[in-house]
Order: sequence, then C-alpha cells, then structure tokens
Amino acid sequence: MNKLIYIKDTNSGHKQEARDFAASLINKLREYQLEKEVRVVHVADIGVYNCGLALRILPNDYLYKNVSFADVARIVEKSLIKGERIEELASDRPSKQLRIVLRNCGAIDPENIEEYIAVGGYQALALALEKGPDYVIEEMKTSGLRGRGGAGFFTWMKWNISRAVEAERKYIICNGDEGDPGAYMDRSVLEGDPHSVIEGMLIGGFTAGATKGFFYIRAEYPLAIARIQKAIDLAYEYGLLGKDILGSGFSFDAEVRLGAGAFVCGEETALIASIEGKRGYPRPRPPYPSVKGLWGRPTIINNVETLANVPYVLYHGGKRFASIGTGTSKGTKVFALTGKVTNSGLIEVPMGISIREIVFEIGGGVLNDKKIKAVQTGGPSGGIIPAQFFETGVDYENLQKLGSIMGSGGMIVMDEDDCVVDIAKFFLGFCVDESCGKCSPCRIGSTQMLHILEKISTGRGIKEDLTTLRTIAHAMQKASLCGLGQTAANPVLSTLRYFEEEYLMHIEKRICPSGKCKAMVNYIIDQEVCKRCNLCMRRCPVGAIVGDKERGFIILKDKCIKCGECFEVCKFGTINRH
Amino acid sequence: MKISGKAHLEGLQASFKEKQPRDWIKVGYGTCGIAAGADVVFASLIEELQKRNLDIPVFKCGCAGMCYAEPLVEVNVEGVPRVFYGMVTREIVHRIVEEHVSRHRLLDDHIYDLVMRTD
Repeated sequence: MNKLIYIKDTNSGHKQEARDFAASLINKLREYQLEKEVRVVHVADIGVYNCGLALRILPNDYLYKNVSFADVARIVEKSLIKGERIEELASDRPSKQLRIVLRNCGAIDPENIEEYIAVGGYQALALALEKGPDYVIEEMKTSGLRGRGGAGFFTWMKWNISRAVEAERKYIICNGDEGDPGAYMDRSVLEGDPHSVIEGMLIGGFTAGATKGFFYIRAEYPLAIARIQKAIDLAYEYGLLGKDILGSGFSFDAEVRLGAGAFVCGEETALIASIEGKRGYPRPRPPYPSVKGLWGRPTIINNVETLANVPYVLYHGGKRFASIGTGTSKGTKVFALTGKVTNSGLIEVPMGISIREIVFEIGGGVLNDKKIKAVQTGGPSGGIIPAQFFETGVDYENLQKLGSIMGSGGMIVMDEDDCVVDIAKFFLGFCVDESCGKCSPCRIGSTQMLHILEKISTGRGIKEDLTTLRTIAHAMQKASLCGLGQTAANPVLSTLRYFEEEYLMHIEKRICPSGKCKAMVNYIIDQEVCKRCNLCMRRCPVGAIVGDKERGFIILKDKCIKCGECFEVCKFGTINRH
Repeated sequence: MKISGKAHLEGLQASFKEKQPRDWIKVGYGTCGIAAGADVVFASLIEELQKRNLDIPVFKCGCAGMCYAEPLVEVNVEGVPRVFYGMVTREIVHRIVEEHVSRHRLLDDHIYDLVMRTD
C-alpha cells in the first residue's frame, strides 16, 4: 500500500498536539496491521495556515484541514484503506503563486548555461530572430506586459518608439539598481536565472535595432554582478552574444556597469548620466531616453523583472501571458514580502490577487499572532494600505486609487506595534539622504518635512504642522525635477490620509499608541506590584535603575534611553510603559 | 562551441536534458541562502556523500523564494518523494544523507511542503 501522511499543527505550531495526533493515528493503524505500510511524517510547513491540524495524504494527494482526534478512525478506514476522500475535511491544495519570472530560480544552476538551454533557454530568441521585429512587437502588444520597475509603461510601446527613430547606434539598458529598501526581487532573478534577463535584452535589442546593451547593477550586489558577468561570458562562448547570433546576421554586445551607491541612479536619466561617467543628476524630460538617451542616442531602459518576462511571452505567446492577471495589468508580479509576516520571502502571484490572500494564505499571517495594521507597498515612493482594504486585488490601477503604487515590488507588513509616523519618517529620511540636491523642491522640501516629522515624533508637534506637511508635499509633487522628489512625499500623504488620528495623538496627547516613538515612551516601575527581584537593575545597560531590595527600585527618567530591556525582562509585569 | 542556429539549439536542448541525472540534491545558493549558511551545508553534503561512496551530484541553485526557511535543500532520490528541507544545518545534512538518501526515510520537522506552480 505504501502511503505517506504529512502532518502539521498550523495554528500554534505546538508540536505536542501534532505528536499526540500522530500517536493516535499510528495506534489505529496497528489495529489494522498497517503500521508498516503507512509512514507519518511531521512537516515544518504544509502550505495552509491557521486551520488547526492539517494532513496531506500521499500518493492520493488529499489535503485535510481542522482535523480532530475524532476523525482518526474514518481517516484510516475511508482514506487510507479505501482510498476515498473525506469531503468535510478536504480542501484544495493552495497554489496561489504562479512562477513565470522565477520559473528557473531554485531549479537550475545559474552558472551553467547548459541547464538554461535544457529548459528551452534562448529558443525565444531564436524565434524572434526568425520571425522579425514586427512579430515581436505584435506578441508583446498582445501580452500587455507593463514595466515592472514601477511606472508600468507598456514595454512594446517603449521598444516601438526607439525602433522608429533613425539612428546609427541605439542602446538597451537593464536597470538593476533596485534601490527600494526591502526590495530584492531583481537581485534574486540576476542571481538565480541571469540568462533569462540576457535573453530578454537580446530580444528587445533586436526588435528596436540596438546593438549594445548595458547591465547597470548596484555595486552592493556582488553575487548578482558575478553571476551576470559569468552568464555574459558563457553566452559569448556559445555564440549567443557577439557577431552573427544563431546565424541570423544580428550582432549584439553586452557589458556590466556598476552603480556607486546612489538611489537616484535608479531613475533613468540619472542612470544614463552615471553610465556616461557623470554625477547622477536627472535631466528634464522630454526628450525621453527612448528617443534621446545615452550619449544622445535612442536608449531603451527596462527593469530586470520586465526583461525576465520577455522570453516567456515570445515562447508561449502573448495571448497566454494576457490570460493571466486583470484587464489592465497582465501577467504576474514578484513581491518581496517582508516585515511582520511569518513567511517572509519572494513570492510571485498573478495580478489581481487580493492583499489578504498574499498576507494570510501565502505569507502565513502576522508574526506572533499580533494584530495586522497595514501593508506598505512601493518603497519610498509608495504608500500604506490599511487592513480594511485588504480585499483589493493587486494591480497598477487599484493601488494607485488607494494612494499607493505597485512600485518595484516591496511589500512590508505592519502590525499594531508599528507606528505610521515612524514609517513615514523612515522613508522621508531615506529620500533626504538620497536626494541629489539639484532642485529646490526636493532638496529643501524633503528636509523641512523631515524636521516636522521629527518634531511630531518627539512630542513637540502642533496641529498646524499637518497643514504645512500637506502644502510642502503638494509643492514637491508639482515642481520636482524627477520621480524621487515627485514621490518622496507619498508615504507622508498616504499615512495622513488613513491614519490622521494617530498623528493627532502624537500631537495633541503626546502619545505614540504603538510605543515606537521612543522619545514619548515612559517606563515606570509600579511599586505596588514590584517583587524587588533586582532583575531589571541588572539588565539596564545604562544604570538608569537605582535602589535596593529593602526600599525598592526606581527608573531615573533622564538616564533612561527607552530601550525597553527592563520591560522585556520583568516576569511580573511590574514595569508600565506609556 | 558556437551555436549555429535554431536547429542546433533545439538539438542541444535534447542532449542537455538527457544528461540530467536521475538522483540529485540542490542547495539554495542565492545571497539569502549564503547568509543563512548554505556554504556550510553544501560542503557538508559533499563530505557526507563522499564518506559513504554515494554517487549523487549536488548542485547550487538560485533563491526559490522561501527565504524564511533558508538554508534550503531539495532532495530527489528514487524511491522517495521529492522534498524541500528547510533550516538545514550540518546535523540535518548528516541525517539527510544517513536517513533520507541511504535508508529512504523522510526526516521529521524539516520538510516544507509547498506548491511551486510554474506555468
């Protein structure tokens, strides 16, 4: 018979409950003398969350949720012996993720071109070379692929614009700068499947008439740089880069250029300046890079994830790609799901999936069973989406309507212990550091907004500050030279839109409800409850707790650095925090 | 070797596919994996397999997405279902080779049983 049962307690993860159930199951199997035929294996993760004890029976592939001890008999009799599915317990095995961009990541050795070829690699290129640029544009148009760097511009349109310009030389650049804090999708694709990006770039270059490509990768990604360089070298060896590729007459060269630590160089005109050897200052547009870019020539700039989608579109056809996603946002999106979520990592989902499914069904819910507050998407250009909007399907338009953006794919989960003022301050501080300084709205506006947020988070804010914040934000949006300045105020505007009461609590009551803004948190020992065990005094890193066992202990307010160690270590709940 | 054209490429795909071994082990070797200790895991796997004269190739692969469970090791040995082991340490490597590979017994508490749907 030889069956396998995977078992996991998907709630608390307490092994005891699962172990007791397994023992009960094995006992029942012994009654039928089946203990040698069926193996019970405890797994670390079974793919479903917060549904009690879950089982998966193989080879039948039955997934059962909320199983109780009362079910043991019928599981053995019906499912194991008769092979029948118990409908009341059964559930579909969730497969919310759909890996297109990440199709080869984790499956092939990224440093071995043979493995990429074995899974059909470079055949999309062969097809494109055979059918010609018109065919490629048609397929890309049908697919509806939009730029995955965040702007969401139609890729076929960008290629077509460059294609139409008469020029002796054209370029295509892969934007691997990935500056958003918490986003690492592009890094993983470059490290895990570099050839897919090269193939995408070749197809784009061929279609638009570009003969030289650049991989602009931030210097903070040494492994990605090494892997892409190795892939380029191998591609040259196999004749997939260089002269007369696959006998088509098309020649293309590629090289890697490194970023040097500037977030602004993810913006296309600053990136171009950087490759030209200049300081990363953006330029006014028009002219757009597709028409006049690198060294004044037509230049296509595509994000890593966009390019990784291209071979799939050509190989399987634009129609198949367009069958995934929503009306306006086709295909999938890779998200870096991080923050207070149980399963943090890279996920790839079809456009249109709800935020709730992402956080609770793929992400496994909030860490430590805390209450969910919101998710932050789009990094420093993005916004916050509170829990009440979690049924929203993720796509470009929906997120914009809610005051955020898709961005490059960072999705940070926030719980009740996260403060919205603090997170707005973090992202604004990031923009202040990264601002190139060329235009006043961004350079001065972001700094002034940061000062106001610092005032608010240290209990010195006034009501008028909120109006000032909004005024400066709108000025920055209207008058900044590039996307960095235009969007730097988004986290502030978005948190003000949905969590104004929290700002007002900081201002009017001088309280931070989540306890994050340290300056406004006070730690006090409750003398009536205190057991005088001395644990907190020993734990305090700055000696701010004084006293002795007879007279008791107190926390000296001016020495206290609000680290919270005493609060964490006290076993009697003596220390109050407010 | 320069690939001359589409037909040559297709021929190579077929021959490279054939070359793939029946039994194999893959270790997640992206930055997330390495940061979690994949280099130790990889080296231990090779050592343990060599000790027992087991001729199973060990490959490096990219990030499979389950960054919270790194280091990740995927094991495919005939006679046992293909599984992902997560949070792998040197001790777990020893048990993987000893129990899963040699005795065809799956390990408790380390399997990540998730669907990876690729279109």
